[in-house]
This record gives sequence, structure tokens and C-alpha cells, in this order.
Amino acid sequence: MILGSLISYPQAIVLGLLQGVSELFPVSSLGHSVILPRLLGWNIHQNDPYFLSFLVATHLATALVLLGFFRADWVRIVKGLGRSLRDREIAPDDTDARLAWLLIVGTIPAGILGLALEHKLRSVFASPRSASVFLILNGVMLYGAELLRRRAPVHEEGDPDVRIVKRVGWKEAIGVGTAQAVALIPGFSRSGASMGGGLLAGLSNEDAARFAFLLATPIIGAAAILKLPDLFGHTGDGVRWQALVAALCSAATAYLAVRFLMRFFETNRLTPFALYCFLAGLGCLLYFVS
Amino acid sequence: MKKNRALILPAVALGVVLIAIAIVYWVEPAKSLPSFFPGHDAHSTTHHLKHGIAAFLVGLAVLAFGWFQTGGAKPARK
Repeated sequence: MILGSLISYPQAIVLGLLQGVSELFPVSSLGHSVILPRLLGWNIHQNDPYFLSFLVATHLATALVLLGFFRADWVRIVKGLGRSLRDREIAPDDTDARLAWLLIVGTIPAGILGLALEHKLRSVFASPRSASVFLILNGVMLYGAELLRRRAPVHEEGDPDVRIVKRVGWKEAIGVGTAQAVALIPGFSRSGASMGGGLLAGLSNEDAARFAFLLATPIIGAAAILKLPDLFGHTGDGVRWQALVAALCSAATAYLAVRFLMRFFETNRLTPFALYCFLAGLGCLLYFVS
Repeated sequence: MKKNRALILPAVALGVVLIAIAIVYWVEPAKSLPSFFPGHDAHSTTHHLKHGIAAFLVGLAVLAFGWFQTGGAKPARK
């Protein structure tokens, strides 16, 4: 086998561009990375070790973009965390400290479930057919979250973090964090699950998206860093430069995606993404079973 | 957050135990793990790094919880 031909540069560009968008849009990046190669007739499979190593770079790029986009917020959040540890309490009016602990509390269940179940779930559900079915269900989940939301979708003035810490308690943070784990199944979206959870907790779409992106940053970054040795090990042979190209493409589209979504959700709902997932999943399912 | 000083000692003990378990996972191969540990496999030489990370993170969280229980009540910040 010629190592350089495992993933071509055009394929790397397409996969990188797709990853950046689909990781942050509530449409399942994992599902798209299972379905698209099969739709285009590429000989790339979700469970191939070199493909997993390749994806590490795109995930890391997405996490770095999120970190950069919310860098001022993360500085405040980390300072708040430090203040709370120093004072050995979360002051009632310390929004940053409470947000920091909400993010930690939400990240722990997602991290543990990810560590425990990621390999098993990916192995079992990595077929394009099952990814298509779960994409349909992701659409149903997003639509369901909009139907069951506790707050009418209106644009709110003021500090979004104050609203988040006011409406999201410890139980809700654990719930939203745990909901992210559903994204271990190709076809379900991490950001979709956490945004949906945010809506059920009483957040607006704008605040739910913000909380989801803040919550996603450590999880995506940690997962990528944990697997980074694979990219530099022998499973990364033949895909390392393609991974770099894909990471750059992924970073560009991730930046545009997060910028777009933060504006989009000021006045819009999850419904268009629910419709897309339902129709795209249905179309792909019909294609793969025919 | 309500403070309960009676929880400090159990939290510290549990946190230390969990971090010790994490170290065992990182240092020992699956075949050398105690048989009651998840991931024990008498024929495997792999290290369960992820189990260790999970135990470490939960241990840190429990220690942080214990740390918060040690704080005294203070007036709200201005």
C-alpha cells in the first residue's frame, strides 16, 4: 500500500472544511465523516486507525479556534475559578467563578462517558446506514428540544453569563454535560445535544449556544490532545501532512461557523438544523439501502 | 453552596483513593490490576490510561468539593 495515497490532499481539504462546520453546527461531525466518504465513493472508513489519527488534527484545530474565539471569556472564567479556590467558596455574585464550576461539573460526566464508551459506540455504529438513522433522530431531538423549551425565543439584553448562571443549576449542568455524550454515536450532535439541554434548562438559543461552545472546548481539546500521540506515531504515517492541511481548513470553517452561529442564534432557533438533519438523514438512508 | 464540615474527611479520603487508583491504572498493565478493578484482564499487557484519567478527574473533583467545605462563610463580594 502506498502510504501517501491513504487520504489525498483534495480529500483532506474537503474533510477539513466539513469538520470545522459540522463540529459546531448541531448536525453531527462524526455522522458526516462517516456518511460523506461513502457518498463520494472514497475508500475511507471511520474505524481505520489512520483516519482516526487524521481527525485528531481537525478536532484540535476546532478546539483552538473555540478557545481563541472566547479567549477573553476563558481568561475571566479561569480567574473566577482561581478566586473561588482561594476563597474556598463561590461568592453569590461571582458569575465567572460559578460559570467555571458549571463548566467543570458539566465536563466531568461527558469526559468519563467519552473515555468509557467512545471506542465501543464508534465500533458498533460506524456504518453509514446507522449514521443516517441517528442523523434523523438528531433532527427529531433538536426539534423536540425546541418544542419542550421553557423560554420563548426572544433576544435578551445584558450579560449572557449572568443569565446562564442564573438559569443553569448544578443538576442542569450535569444534565447538559451528560447529554453531550450522545454525540459519541455517529449521527448525533454534541453541540445539538448541549444546546437542546440548555433550552430545556431555560436558556435562550443564544445563551444555550454560548454555553454549549464553552462546554465543548475542554472536551474537544482534551480528546484531541489525548489522541495526538497517534498522529505522531506509526498510525499517522502517510496522513500527517494531509492532517495539517485539513486542520487549517477546519480552523477556517470553524471560525466562520462559530461567528455565524453566535449571530444566528440571537434571533433564530434550532429548527432549520432539525429539518436539515431529518431530510439529509432520510435521503442518505434511502440511498444506502437502495 | 452549603458547607458541611463533616464531609471534609470523607471527601479527602475518597479523593486520595481515587488518585491512587488512577496511578495504579497508569503504572500497572491490565493483567497486574487487582481482579476487582474494571479493565482487569489476566492475559493483557496493555495499560488502561483512560480508566486512569477518569479516576484522576473524579478524584480531583472530590478533593475540590472537600476543599470548598473547609471555607468559612464570608460576606458577598462588592
